[in-house]
Amino acid sequence: MKQARTSWKVLFLAILLPILVLVTINITIGNTHSAEAFKRFGNALLTSYIVMGILLLGNLIAYADSRHRPAAPLVGMLAAIGVGVLLAGALVSNSDLLLEANSGIRAQILSNIVRLLVSGTAMAIAGLLAVGLTFAAITGRPRRVLFYEEE
Amino acid sequence: MQAMLEAAIWFWIPLILVPIGFWLVVSSRAEKGGKILGIIGLVLVMASPWTVPDSDSSAAGHLLLAILGPTILMGYGLHGMVFGGEVPVGKLDNSARWSGALAVISSIFIMGLMHWSTFTPIWRGQVNPYWIVFWPTFLMFGTSLCSAASVALVGFGEDRDREATNLVIASIFLASIAFVAMFIDGPNTSAAEFRTHLWSAAADILGTVAGVGAAIATFAIVIWTYERSLPDPENTPPPSEDEIKHVVSLAKAHLDGGEEE
Repeated sequence: MKQARTSWKVLFLAILLPILVLVTINITIGNTHSAEAFKRFGNALLTSYIVMGILLLGNLIAYADSRHRPAAPLVGMLAAIGVGVLLAGALVSNSDLLLEANSGIRAQILSNIVRLLVSGTAMAIAGLLAVGLTFAAITGRPRRVLFYEEE
Repeated sequence: MQAMLEAAIWFWIPLILVPIGFWLVVSSRAEKGGKILGIIGLVLVMASPWTVPDSDSSAAGHLLLAILGPTILMGYGLHGMVFGGEVPVGKLDNSARWSGALAVISSIFIMGLMHWSTFTPIWRGQVNPYWIVFWPTFLMFGTSLCSAASVALVGFGEDRDREATNLVIASIFLASIAFVAMFIDGPNTSAAEFRTHLWSAAADILGTVAGVGAAIATFAIVIWTYERSLPDPENTPPPSEDEIKHVVSLAKAHLDGGEEE
């Protein structure tokens, strides 16, 4: 069996490196980070956690169908999402922590969801491009013969 | 109050229909219905600039509609590039590969024109505020994923250096577009604005990936904890005489194979 010539750490670095390079260039030309970037990170993290949690909750209902409908996983997942919602509410209501240029908590929450819709779409299209180009590169070469027939 | 109600009816409820449609498709309960529901939701969100022009959220619908054309062109191009190559099933004509590559380059070129030409999505007389969110996020995440795919091909594949090089070139190409946008103004968007939003894009990408990862990890922990708490399944009792007779009769009925015609 072929030994893998890389590790997940290297793969993780390959994901991060281009972002770090672009950010470093940005810093080099004088655009230092602002507190807004940290707020954006926090908002993106909590919003995506809650939205993805709700999406997975739907999958949990499908999972429950094959397990005599247990309530425990549903309650557990709801509690986990609830913690995220409470945390987001608490941090957004503190104006110095996660509240961006919005008038209040409700405006911030709605803005977070819309922003996630846009950035999620951008990431999904980038993912489509990367996966498509990878398969295009793989299918671009003639198929190799894996087994030779014995004469 | 009226404006909020209209926004709820024409933007937020359609937006909620999209994950509901996704759930229905995933759960295989009403696959077709789920797809129709999701598409209706998405179409209504994209139509929100006309249905609820006063809502600020409609800008997102406007942006999605603006990028729909280049995205479809990109999808069409990638389909041609993949299936115009050496695939065992569904192979397209060899020319599909070149026309596909042209379509992908054209789609990115059109997005470039949206930044550096007058194609920029304009909403309420100004540049759509979400365009400057979408563009750096797309470029940054695209270059990042192409780089990761390149490393994965070299590391986990065998003799894939040439393919990995192509992906590195794609990654550098996307990074170069971001680099140029950091220095060259467009007629509607400035380089300084792009540089400012580059920080937000990085924060958005890292935050979203971390949040999605945390949700998936939580989901896995919930399932794992529940499955672990279940008692071991009991051994089933041996078959009764009647059950054995029934199985034997079924086996006998199928051993003969019937008469040849």
